[in-house]
Amino acid sequence: MAEQQTNGITADSPGAAPARDPLSSVAIRQIALLAIAATVGFVLLMAALSWASDLTSSSTTSVGAIDVETGTITLSLTQEPPQLDSTRLTDSVSGMILGHVMEGLLRYDINNQLAPGVAERWDIRTDGATFWLREEARWSDGEPVTAHDFVFAWQTAVDPATASQYAFIFYVFKNAEAINRGELPRETLGARAVGDLELEIEFERPVAYFDKLVAFQTYYPIREDFYLSRDGRYAADAVDLLYNGPFEITVWVHGAHVRLEKNEHYWNRDEISLNVIDFPYITADGNAALNLYRDGQIAVVNGLGAESLDQVLAERWPVRRYSDGSVWFFQINHREEHPTSNYNLRKALQLVNDPGELVYKVIQIPGYTPGESLFPTWLNGQNGLFRQEYPAPTVTPNVALAREHLEQAKRELGVDEIPPIVLLADDTPGASKQAEYYQNRLMQTLGLDIRIDKQIFRQRLAKAEAGEFDLALYGWGPDFDDPLTFGDLFASWNLNNHGEYANADLDAQVRIAQESTDQATRMAAFGRIQEILIEDVAIIPNYERGVLYIQDPRLRGVGRRVVGPDPDYSRAHIVAD
Amino acid sequence: MSTAAFEFGPGDFERVATERRTQTLSRPSVSYWQDAWRRLRDNRRALISLWIVIALAFFTLAGPLLWRVDPAAQDLDQVSQAPGLPQVAAIVEPYASWAGLRATPLAAPAGTPATAPTGLSLVEPATTQAVRLAWDPVPGATGYQLYRNIYDPDPDGALGLPVAEILDPAQVSFEDRLDLEPVRYWYSVVPLDATGAEAGEYATLAVDTTRVISAAEAETLGWIEDAGTVAVGDEIVLPYHPFGTDYLGRDMLSRLMYGARVSLFIGVVAPLLFVVVGIVYGSAAGFIGGRVDQLLMRFADFVVALPFLLFMILFKIAFGIGPGESGIFPMLVALVLLAWPATARLVRGQVLQIREEGYIGASQLLGAKTTYLVLRHMIPNTMGVILVTLTFAVPSVIFTEAFLSFIGMGVAPPTPSWGSMSNEGLRTMLTHPHELIFPAIFISVTVLAFNLLGDGLRDALDVRMRGQE
Repeated sequence: MAEQQTNGITADSPGAAPARDPLSSVAIRQIALLAIAATVGFVLLMAALSWASDLTSSSTTSVGAIDVETGTITLSLTQEPPQLDSTRLTDSVSGMILGHVMEGLLRYDINNQLAPGVAERWDIRTDGATFWLREEARWSDGEPVTAHDFVFAWQTAVDPATASQYAFIFYVFKNAEAINRGELPRETLGARAVGDLELEIEFERPVAYFDKLVAFQTYYPIREDFYLSRDGRYAADAVDLLYNGPFEITVWVHGAHVRLEKNEHYWNRDEISLNVIDFPYITADGNAALNLYRDGQIAVVNGLGAESLDQVLAERWPVRRYSDGSVWFFQINHREEHPTSNYNLRKALQLVNDPGELVYKVIQIPGYTPGESLFPTWLNGQNGLFRQEYPAPTVTPNVALAREHLEQAKRELGVDEIPPIVLLADDTPGASKQAEYYQNRLMQTLGLDIRIDKQIFRQRLAKAEAGEFDLALYGWGPDFDDPLTFGDLFASWNLNNHGEYANADLDAQVRIAQESTDQATRMAAFGRIQEILIEDVAIIPNYERGVLYIQDPRLRGVGRRVVGPDPDYSRAHIVAD
Repeated sequence: MSTAAFEFGPGDFERVATERRTQTLSRPSVSYWQDAWRRLRDNRRALISLWIVIALAFFTLAGPLLWRVDPAAQDLDQVSQAPGLPQVAAIVEPYASWAGLRATPLAAPAGTPATAPTGLSLVEPATTQAVRLAWDPVPGATGYQLYRNIYDPDPDGALGLPVAEILDPAQVSFEDRLDLEPVRYWYSVVPLDATGAEAGEYATLAVDTTRVISAAEAETLGWIEDAGTVAVGDEIVLPYHPFGTDYLGRDMLSRLMYGARVSLFIGVVAPLLFVVVGIVYGSAAGFIGGRVDQLLMRFADFVVALPFLLFMILFKIAFGIGPGESGIFPMLVALVLLAWPATARLVRGQVLQIREEGYIGASQLLGAKTTYLVLRHMIPNTMGVILVTLTFAVPSVIFTEAFLSFIGMGVAPPTPSWGSMSNEGLRTMLTHPHELIFPAIFISVTVLAFNLLGDGLRDALDVRMRGQE
């Protein structure tokens, strides 16, 4: 049998492979050699690439979600923090990171109550305020935190050259508004350092909620000599920031990795239990985060989507929830050239809107509640909750009445058909789903042609600011713990009033709420604002957002809050299991 | 047998009738196309693919006439439903809001831990409209946390979704309206202690919900003619979704049919257009030859280097395609403007080859004009190559469309397309796989069928390829 050169493969296929001619066997040999060479080359290339990537990335080895011995927790971020300069910061991811590495005069504690931060004690009067800073507060380079650092930060924030979107939050300071308009030099701001440890503030008008205001992130200090030494690169990288909070950023690989380590110079370092908060994953993909959690790579998954709930239940993970305090509504364009400037059309839209159906059947996430007002249910009023003291006017969906208003609107606009209405929305799965729901709902009930304009967050904001929309799915989260953070949103001068809603009565009420120090008067003004917004259909409320999250049971003491940096891991601790 | 004795006589010779026939056809005459068709028929894979393509065309064109369901209509009572049998719902009174039950909170001696609530029960039968629960107040509780699970919380106490937090100790009832389906739910009530934290003890109640709808709702949705014809307690059959529904309760079958329109329209029209462009361009280059050929082909190389996606975006802007409008037209233009060089190259190669054939020289000697040469010899002889290119272009264009719609550059909602449906289905891949699997199967089968058909056509049309596998 020596001459039989069959192998298993050819023997199994009858009729195939007669005698191989010498040419093809040479070719096969060459191809085989090439294939081996290519495989070896590929393996070598991959090895070289992985070696090269080790050179550039930080050499942290994966330790799992929680490392009890080193006090390390590992988490993921939904996006790279876009702006860590406290004077320019507007988004919640940056706010969360900065909340761990900086500390203002006051801060929110684990029970969400105001607690002393850099300030040891304070005195707030009708014409101004005084803060006494604690002596032991230090920057991460060991230098003391002084009153000058606060004055410098605040002057920078109101300086028109900074173009801070949050400059308005300083308007309670004397001259702040004039400085921001470029009418006065920044040194005239009503904040002055009396020595290193005393801060003297002069008000433009009496303000009832100043203590809540100073806990806001735009009020964080910045040291002047450091800021100037960075030469315009302040907060561009981990080394371009100086920290006075419980943690400092030690690694910041843009778009890939953020690592916070305990700040040994922090005055209250004994209260901090964690040593490292590591964010080696930056992904907006909820499924990716869930997989990381399942594999024990991260300790928290924030904001579960409706589509992942069944999976979470099947895994039997404990689910928690909290309200993130934000209110979502249709921002309506009131500019004259838009059909939505017509009251009857807006009224028709309001009458077909069914927030209950939206929340229970479309969003399907526990924790969301149907929206009834611009003022969320958690806001505190004079004695109890604001919404219990001033209930929102109820709107019952009524399609027949809505159609009457629609006909009236067509007559007033002089058209047979309402032109297509542009609905501006985020390009997230959740927002797309809601937009498509409304597209069908408005077509079915009113026969309106809705064009959905899906944009990424930044672009959506830019389009809203430019007024390029008829309706926009829009959310607003609170900046400080007072109804005013929502109440002044639709004042005619507010920059976030993207639809340019103007109502003299509402403006007058906002002035009262801003200037009065009597809580009863202020709450009455907010009650009136709430009525106007619904009666005149300035906005159409959709829902109040809740957040579902899962958290490793070994991690305790994470602060979840409506106002201020959220989530707050700074006072968290690990329990061994 | 001896032959030597045989003598030829005159009778042995007969005058043969003059026969002008020089050759005989032993089989019926078969033209080139008949031959190709015969060969295609013999190729089983190609034949099956051909039937699939015909079935797809029927599905797309005649389907919506037979299955008259609006692909944009949302059936919010049947969201993300898997394919299955028709659902039945009982008619109930319209939803009326419920104030809930209140009880005087009971004080407990300080230091006693909160106990599990007793008397957890349904206030009225559980339906998909609402589930209403009540329980006895727990001494010392400052509030209650409500959980809902679709699995039994025992034995490890996985209570499931936190559906409500009641911070008022007097409130001892809860109404659930969140996305209720006709399944069994396990509701758990956990009392909150003085610090607002959950006490360890809880009570669980298993609840079976039934599917219901109010007559008014059913009428609004167009499921029954007149709300007056049904009474509370009657059962109606809900609209049937043989392929299930998507995340907004839209009928998958209808969406697949309408989605096929977009996919097949662009898949057929774009290749037709760019193949025509390619034929004209390629045959001109090949036939004229020389410097013109060089110039034309270098330009074709240049076009190959242009990035498709970039041009697609540019056209979208250039045509003023606003937000929420379909991007199909710019996609068509971009495809036609950028995809022709492949065909042009093939045709040019063929024309160059044919130009040198003997019969062309003979035609020219006999005084044939250029038009005659091109129309009579060049194009018919390249037809095989062209048809093959065309059938291979169709699946690649369908795939491009699916890809662009997947990344959101194609159709605008609510128009479905297989690509955009796959994108939407991807999110619920683990929990409702049918939303991804159906459009994915349609894309795959279509692309495969066109590819195999193209393969068969190539074998059938190109004589030299016959029998080679």
